[in-house]
Amino acid sequence: MQNRPAIVAVGRTKFGEHYGKEPEKLIEEAWLAASNECDLERRDLEACYLSDCFLPITNKLGLEEGFLSELTELHIPMEVTRSVSAALLTAYHAIQAGVYNTVLVGGIEKMTDRWDKIRDDLMLLGDPWSYYAGGTPEANHELMLRAYIKKFGIIGKNLDKLNVALAKISVKNHAQAIKNEYAQFHRKITIEQVLSARKAARRPLGLYDFAPISDGASALVLTSQMKAKRITEKPVYILGCASATDYLDFPARDDLTHFTSTQIAMKNASKMARKVPLDLSVLEVYDQSTVMEMVSMEDLGFCEPGTAWKRIRGNCEDYGGYYEINGKKLYVNMNGGLKADGNPLGATGGAQIFEIFRQLRGEAGERQITTDQDSMLTGCSLEFEGFGTKAYVSILGRET
Amino acid sequence: MSSEPIERRVSYLGDRLKACRCKICGKEYFEMRDYCGNCGRKSFGKMANIDLFYEKGRIELCTLINEPTNKFKKLEHYVYGIISFHNGKIRVPGRLTDQIINDGEVIDFSSLEGREVVPRFRRRYQVGGSEVVPTISLAFTLADEYYPHQGYTIVQPNKEYNLPGIVGYAFYTSRFRIKEGKLERSVPFIDEDAVTAAVEAGKLSLIHSGVDSSLVGKVYVGSESNPYAVKPIASKVAQVLKLGEEDGDVQGVDAVDTEFACKAASSMFKDAAALVSYSKSKMKYAMVIGADNSQAAPRGCPGGELDVFVGYGGAAFIFGKYDVIAEIEGWYSCTSDTPDFWRRDGEPFPMHGGRFSGEPAYFKHVRKATTKLMEKLNLQAGDVDYFITHQPNPRFPVKVAKQLGFKDEQYAVSLQVTKFGNTYSGCSPVGLAAVLDVAKPEEKILITSYGSGAGSDAYLLRTTSQILDKRQRQKINVKSQAENPFLHYVDYTTYRRLKLGM
Repeated sequence: MQNRPAIVAVGRTKFGEHYGKEPEKLIEEAWLAASNECDLERRDLEACYLSDCFLPITNKLGLEEGFLSELTELHIPMEVTRSVSAALLTAYHAIQAGVYNTVLVGGIEKMTDRWDKIRDDLMLLGDPWSYYAGGTPEANHELMLRAYIKKFGIIGKNLDKLNVALAKISVKNHAQAIKNEYAQFHRKITIEQVLSARKAARRPLGLYDFAPISDGASALVLTSQMKAKRITEKPVYILGCASATDYLDFPARDDLTHFTSTQIAMKNASKMARKVPLDLSVLEVYDQSTVMEMVSMEDLGFCEPGTAWKRIRGNCEDYGGYYEINGKKLYVNMNGGLKADGNPLGATGGAQIFEIFRQLRGEAGERQITTDQDSMLTGCSLEFEGFGTKAYVSILGRET
Repeated sequence: MSSEPIERRVSYLGDRLKACRCKICGKEYFEMRDYCGNCGRKSFGKMANIDLFYEKGRIELCTLINEPTNKFKKLEHYVYGIISFHNGKIRVPGRLTDQIINDGEVIDFSSLEGREVVPRFRRRYQVGGSEVVPTISLAFTLADEYYPHQGYTIVQPNKEYNLPGIVGYAFYTSRFRIKEGKLERSVPFIDEDAVTAAVEAGKLSLIHSGVDSSLVGKVYVGSESNPYAVKPIASKVAQVLKLGEEDGDVQGVDAVDTEFACKAASSMFKDAAALVSYSKSKMKYAMVIGADNSQAAPRGCPGGELDVFVGYGGAAFIFGKYDVIAEIEGWYSCTSDTPDFWRRDGEPFPMHGGRFSGEPAYFKHVRKATTKLMEKLNLQAGDVDYFITHQPNPRFPVKVAKQLGFKDEQYAVSLQVTKFGNTYSGCSPVGLAAVLDVAKPEEKILITSYGSGAGSDAYLLRTTSQILDKRQRQKINVKSQAENPFLHYVDYTTYRRLKLGM
């Protein structure tokens, strides 16, 4: 394909609670990190795509482009999306169409500024009828797990194994986050902790099954293929990117055990990249809950429906957790995932891309995956808006 | 902060659980749609409106909510899940209501999944005191517990009677009780109020009567615990029950709230009867509802002495000339300005005149209306099969009945205050419902209401043979609610909390 847009630099802030910082400060920090990495000046940018899920609600910022313009002192075209993956997809199309050569893609969220009302906001924006009926952001995940257990007839010892496998997902992600300097949590947890939190909650999932609310920002620079080669020796190309959409109203969807949007987005992205799931060796999925990570492994085509929980292997407590797929080790959410890295909605996708970028370039430090080098050339991220209402799959690779 | 237009639209769909079905492929949707997603443009104009209001659903999946979103905090813990209708053709989110789940209580989700449920009309969530009260029917109870499912079948009118009368009725109260000594009183669940009781009672009366709701031309709702100082309960009843001819989102019905303490509803029986008898009105049926979440200050506070007797519930009666179960043979009303019980505007709880609420108020008016009506109709106490009067406490109705010469067997059936408490505007109507539940054809029923302020309405009713025919349509009656195996008893603190509502 002609002109594969490529990521030439990435930057991010630590995720967590940034009590003293304004949203502008966070995006500035992320952008400066990315621009330093590729030695780019503000004036080199031709357009900006910024994402935030609900800054207008959390911080009463209605025209986000305006503050970005003030911050960068740029008057170039700027657009706002809801997620970094959406911004990246838009930027990708613009560059490929030849409109721009250098674009800044960034995301920001400041959820803790409205911590006391954020769950009402999430529900009302994400699934209003469920909200009116008394639903919570956690409930849909638990209902999906109930549907999964019933559909695949998981009972008795197998049900215990499934529950432990889900706990392992959380333990694995927490362990991986310890080596990620930007992660929200640097705390090892145990399977027992995950299980006892569920017991205390008297629900299918507990505190350690869910991603937190977070503040944070992320940024990346996307350029045309020609420009990328001039800027860096190690560009990371976007080989495939696609999105798909499903109903807001979770109960009304045809399939309550999986995300149809992921399946469609993955199908289209892998077709575009000419890759099959087995070609991918670095994977960042959207684990807003442990259940979401599990079903996403199936939706993306790595495991047959109803089997992902049987594939979790290794010592999850000590950075050794992986999915065994066709005899190969697949490492997932090396940055700690949303569970432990954090989940500032509008910036989360940037952290996922950040991790894949670092892994593909061999710059992930202590987190670096060391399998055979040939398979290290491609990675994939899955990002959601809402409860699978929108799914974005981006397949990245070092070689076109 | 609430938005009135959003609130109105959510209520319009959610109160009645409006849905639609594609006439081409049969696919069903919650909410209204102009076309089907399967059939596309060719289905324009081919979508049939349906609703799930009288249907039963099934719990498909459920979980426990113990950390609700802010607006549901007062519900504390509840079961929430996905409810399916029509064998899974429609799935909606819903919560189980009427359950108090204690700290530490473990719910077995798989034992609930698959169970049948009935939609219940409730408050949606809590809002500030100055906001519109949101409602919804995405609250459900198990169909094999307190409130069994009853279908609504419209029955074509058969016989026209000479006199107007009651063609259908129902009593609704919650499954919660407080028991103190020998007295049991009904307590609303935290998402219930006078509005939800009025709607539920009206719904059950439509089921009992078999009357086509579009033929109901007027609805009166008597209450003294309307959550609004200004805004009728009757408009909610009319909209949710689709009373009168439906035209877009407007119902061709006259709806009005009435207030005269505990006789606000019974006062309107004759107005409803007169309306359906007036040939120019072309009105076949009129509905009268008395519903209250009877208010009382907490014990120990001024007005707190009422707290011992207050209950919760509503009774609805449909009046007409077709298929009458009890004809109205006559009435007498009397009024004097006697402020024995009152609630000033803006005050949360009523006050009353202590010992003066007895003889110069209750007894004088009940006796006056009853004796005047008996004189007018040339009746002796012994000619009447049942006597019903207002029941502010267990003692007053017995005393006044004896003063009037009625015997225990004539008034015992009607005494419901020891089971439900004083349901204010619904109080003497509950007594009437209890009598209609057991009366045989050709029996004479004398009901005398009492409203503080003060006044009484006395009516003489004579039952017809149809009272037996219609009884079998009614699974939920006064007795089934009084002697229900699924009653839930609460302590005083819980009672005050539930009564205060969301």
